[in-house]
Amino acid sequence: MNDFLQTYGFLIATMLQAGLLGLSLYFPLQAGQLSLASPGFYALGGYVAAILLTNPSFAGLRDTLGQGIFPLTWLAGAVLGGLLGVVVGVPALRLRGIYLALATIAFVEILRVVALNLTVTGGAVGIFGIPQTFGFQDRWQYIFLFGPLLALTLLFTRQLERSRVGRALRALREDELAADAMGVPPTQYKVLAFVIGAALAGLVGAMSAPFLNTWNAKQGTFDSSITILAAVLIGGSRNIWGPVVGGALLAAVPEVLRFLADWRLVINGLVLVVASLYLPQGIVGALARLTRPRPPQRPLAPAYEKQP
Amino acid sequence: MIRTTLPRLLSAALLLTLGLAQAQKVDTISIGVAVAQTSNTALLGQEQVIGAKFAEKYLNARGGINGTPFKLVFQDTGGDEAGAINAFQNLITKDRVLGIVGPTLSQQAFASDPIAERAKVPVLGPSNTAKGIPQIGNFVARVSAPVAVVAPNAVKQALKLDPKIKDVAVLYAQNDAFSTSETGTFQETVKAQGLTLSTVQKFQTTDTDFTTQVTAVLNAKVDLVIISGLAADGGNLVKQLRQLGYKGLIIGGNGLNTSNMFPVCQKLCDGVIIAQAYSPNQGSAANQVFVKEYTAQYKKAPPQFAAQAYAGVQVMVEALKAIDRKKKLTTWDVDDLRIELNKQILLGKYNTPLGLISFDKEGEVIQKEFYVAQIRMKDAKNGSFVYLK
Repeated sequence: MNDFLQTYGFLIATMLQAGLLGLSLYFPLQAGQLSLASPGFYALGGYVAAILLTNPSFAGLRDTLGQGIFPLTWLAGAVLGGLLGVVVGVPALRLRGIYLALATIAFVEILRVVALNLTVTGGAVGIFGIPQTFGFQDRWQYIFLFGPLLALTLLFTRQLERSRVGRALRALREDELAADAMGVPPTQYKVLAFVIGAALAGLVGAMSAPFLNTWNAKQGTFDSSITILAAVLIGGSRNIWGPVVGGALLAAVPEVLRFLADWRLVINGLVLVVASLYLPQGIVGALARLTRPRPPQRPLAPAYEKQP
Repeated sequence: MIRTTLPRLLSAALLLTLGLAQAQKVDTISIGVAVAQTSNTALLGQEQVIGAKFAEKYLNARGGINGTPFKLVFQDTGGDEAGAINAFQNLITKDRVLGIVGPTLSQQAFASDPIAERAKVPVLGPSNTAKGIPQIGNFVARVSAPVAVVAPNAVKQALKLDPKIKDVAVLYAQNDAFSTSETGTFQETVKAQGLTLSTVQKFQTTDTDFTTQVTAVLNAKVDLVIISGLAADGGNLVKQLRQLGYKGLIIGGNGLNTSNMFPVCQKLCDGVIIAQAYSPNQGSAANQVFVKEYTAQYKKAPPQFAAQAYAGVQVMVEALKAIDRKKKLTTWDVDDLRIELNKQILLGKYNTPLGLISFDKEGEVIQKEFYVAQIRMKDAKNGSFVYLK
């Protein structure tokens, strides 16, 4: 058991983390917005945590707070992610569909280039020697951070979907014009969904910096945007379990197939292709269709009865 | 019923595995190699795999560890931090290796070396040249000389070739960790040698057009250009500098230290000066045997990455040999042997293809010889690094 956790604990925590990042993309998708900005906010959160935890100018703060510095980094990551989400979201969400996707990719690239050029972010080498959250000795202990966060996020998402806001978001996704006509202000709700996703990504980033021991500009790139989007699409973009299943699956496949050596990435690619070809609603969508009761059939017309 | 038995079963299993772990003796002598076999970093990692595999075959054929053959266990790190952590974790707990040679990139080392440090498993970085690697912990050392030591030699050599050099342009790939730390060293060296740093230009490793940078260099009328980049971008940059009429000397950093750049700048590569931590021309017997056997097997001279990976494996093997002479390896507990191996690695002196190397207290490599080579192109595709005295 101990060996199992030592070997696969990091992977399990990575799966939870990937699920969380998938969910951060799922919020804007709920409002019908295809945004690829999550890795940007994730990178930002990680940098905030890494700087707070290693930069000499925060040494005093760290001494006063002790272990309390870790929750503070999470808060800072989430709040800064959310604030930047507003700043980016208000102008960007005037765009639709593919244009929004392009604008958010540009945003991720801008953040990456800024991180490469600043000295406080360590340039291309990044920040290293990040202390461990609450003095954790092993990677699997990070399950205690990502696990509850995932549970809370799922609970929050479920409540949100059932609320008035959730219905408004769904209305926007199905038909923005009709929703607008019914009195749902599109911009307000779209920005709200975007900001929730941004804050979540920032929070996950802040938790991930100690988890990875180091933080650099490679953490938020176009590649990671695509990976997260693939996770959401493969898991299913219409159900809260979709991003979680997709993220966990895509994080796990290359690791579980380690024994196949070079072939494992081929299998990974096959999973992507097969899933996108045959499961348009994602894995969770396909499962939901299997379990859904058959639609009621029209009763057969009564046989012609002879009049006596 | 289930509620009470499950935790009991789990704790029993936990105790059992812990008990087993404590009593584990060394049965096979295995050394881990965690380098990039996939992703775009594999360009470097593949050379390291060849170097390490070659070391396994060659050293085992010469008696292994005092008669017992050793085994290398390969785990792919990919090109990212999570991959490196997973590879290390697998090597430490599942493959139960005695020590690890890897990972390929410094950025990966910052993520995965702390894992080995906490598990008390010695790590030898084969190509981690960034500042701060040996300082990660007591169990972390490297056989790759840091850029700060290698780079200045090239500038001194250029001054020997052309003592009239005064104005210098420095160009570097700002999205590459290695190039950004190397350019820092180059810029300090330029100032230390009393030269003028006329212009500093940045580019990306993904760039193909360097007109802006080249124009700036030409306008600054410099006598020396120093490039820190990787093979494709660096090669293109050299090509465009020459095509647009730059005539002076060019120094390339360690990223250009590969024959992979020959097809990119072709004949225009001619004359580029490159500082190296390894040269196939190094005269020691250890290196000459290595070069001869390597060339016979792979039809080309060993590149630096292969030589450094070979040296990493060799250091582990020689340290294990020294321990084995005192007390047979099979009588050790794995955990104790890992700690002893780390001590022994830092104590010894090793006659590797890189020349004579040893380590300081922190695990930083102490290397005696460095090399400066100049590229000589025979035709559009074939060329060689000519070793400068």
